[in-house]
Amino acid sequence: MNRRKLLSLLGLSPALLAETRAAAQQKSAGKAAAPNAGAGKITTVNPKGTPPPIQLIPMAPRLDTLDGKTVYLVDTGFHGSDVLLHQVEAWFGRNMPSVTTVFRRKAGPYAEDDPKLWKEIKDKGNAVIMAVGH
Amino acid sequence: MVTKAFKDLAILNAAKRGMPHERICFTPHPVWGKTPEEVRAYVEGPDPVTGKPLMKEIVDALTVPLSDDEKKSGTVNVSVGPPTFTDTADNLQEFYLNNGYTDFLPIVLPTQEKIDAMLKGTSHSPDEVVGKMAAGAYPAWSYTVRQVAASAVMAGCRPEYFPIILAIASSGTASLYSSTNSFAFAMIINGPIRDKLEFNYGIGALGPFAQANATIGRAWTLMSKNLGNGGIPGDTYLGSLGNNLNYNNVVIAENEDASPWPPFHVQRGFKKEENVVSLFRGLGVVPGQVARGSSANENVQFDYQLSDLFSTFTGFFGALIIADPLVAIRLKEQGYDTKEKLIDWLYKNTTQTVKDYKSRNYSYVFEYPRALRGEEPWATWYKLPDDAVIPHFPRPESFNIVVTGGQTNAYPQAGNLSYGVSVSIDKWT
Repeated sequence: MNRRKLLSLLGLSPALLAETRAAAQQKSAGKAAAPNAGAGKITTVNPKGTPPPIQLIPMAPRLDTLDGKTVYLVDTGFHGSDVLLHQVEAWFGRNMPSVTTVFRRKAGPYAEDDPKLWKEIKDKGNAVIMAVGH
Repeated sequence: MVTKAFKDLAILNAAKRGMPHERICFTPHPVWGKTPEEVRAYVEGPDPVTGKPLMKEIVDALTVPLSDDEKKSGTVNVSVGPPTFTDTADNLQEFYLNNGYTDFLPIVLPTQEKIDAMLKGTSHSPDEVVGKMAAGAYPAWSYTVRQVAASAVMAGCRPEYFPIILAIASSGTASLYSSTNSFAFAMIINGPIRDKLEFNYGIGALGPFAQANATIGRAWTLMSKNLGNGGIPGDTYLGSLGNNLNYNNVVIAENEDASPWPPFHVQRGFKKEENVVSLFRGLGVVPGQVARGSSANENVQFDYQLSDLFSTFTGFFGALIIADPLVAIRLKEQGYDTKEKLIDWLYKNTTQTVKDYKSRNYSYVFEYPRALRGEEPWATWYKLPDDAVIPHFPRPESFNIVVTGGQTNAYPQAGNLSYGVSVSIDKWT
């Protein structure tokens, strides 16, 4: 399934495409066709809870080039992430030797934040590639 | 970089966190267990989702200028559809099923009339916000008393069950969780409400033999789907095998009168006359009919039986002893006159070598990072030699005991389940 369809399932795409809320609601009622009103029919409630609004985060500006830049390779701690990122590191060494790579394992289990590492990357790095194995 | 198996999860979770156009590149799955040479082939090969060379894609992701969509800021409201649906009963059953609102079993359709009846089961306002729930590392959804009532109706609950459903909902604990591990969940019900609502804590206590046990457990899963947005395979549910216990969870009404020990909720600081639901999360429940003597053997060693069972569990989750009263009474006769004594023995006698501990999946992913930052006991365990013997569980508090069942035979069951929280039911009457 492509990204556009996935976002539509989330109830996101219509809003992002600036359609009216009513249109968005009609479309996002679900995968099945919406029920029809009429005589001899009953009305039931939508059982879903209330999702939080999404605050869009503009993505960071991109680099013009990676030449001479420092790229952090961040291992989230899943099995195999380190092996994967060391191979990425080796690829840069073979194919883009002007790129400096710095391997780091994020502190704490995978779902925990690591503000100390994020600050180090902002201070000393130009880009970051984060990888999860599994 | 994410492996292909988690494509939908990665895209959707980035979107929920405000980055619907996050630049994500994919490798073949799995990476775990592959040799460096095999992984090198992944890195030098194509992205299995786009078919483009993976490393070129990564370099482009870091260097191609942003599109207008990628620069967007602002707030986007997520729609869950209209507040009501109208159609024939048969069509609505089909509609709820096809939209993922159910557990794929027939439901009681949540008409306004049935919702109103359910709301009479509590004194709380229908518009009161009960809590927030997330089925993993996702932004949590919120819900009101009225929204909780819909799942309670759908599960077949009676209005008098509603305070228990609200207590569970107020904990924010989802019974479907997005881990690849296929988690199971359990609840212990304590207090006079067990008799008032006719919970079964006698013969077949864990089986399908009472409406309260069956429907309250089912309501937890329906709430997790509808209120916490859990249970969407590939998005908010990743359990590789799934777990049959997720249909109605492990509902344990404690057999308080037959137990030789204080009931579970009293151990947690509640009074015996209070009504309390306590929630657990873990991997599941296994039978306790194992070696070291049968129930007919006067020398049956339940302590060793339980230790044998627990030594096969992951210590990342807890150990829940589900004891028939006959088991509990026999343990007391053998000297365990308090639960604490039994727990102390199990903690000290259920052991492993450091080598075995380090080989476990959970150790590397969850506990090694904690050891690195000095958290105990893992920091000490990782410094010990491989042949050192250490406890299988990190602390005595990993163990819990509940007594239930009909005393037709002396069999325990054992849950690889961690205690989470105890919630007052009375607050929601």
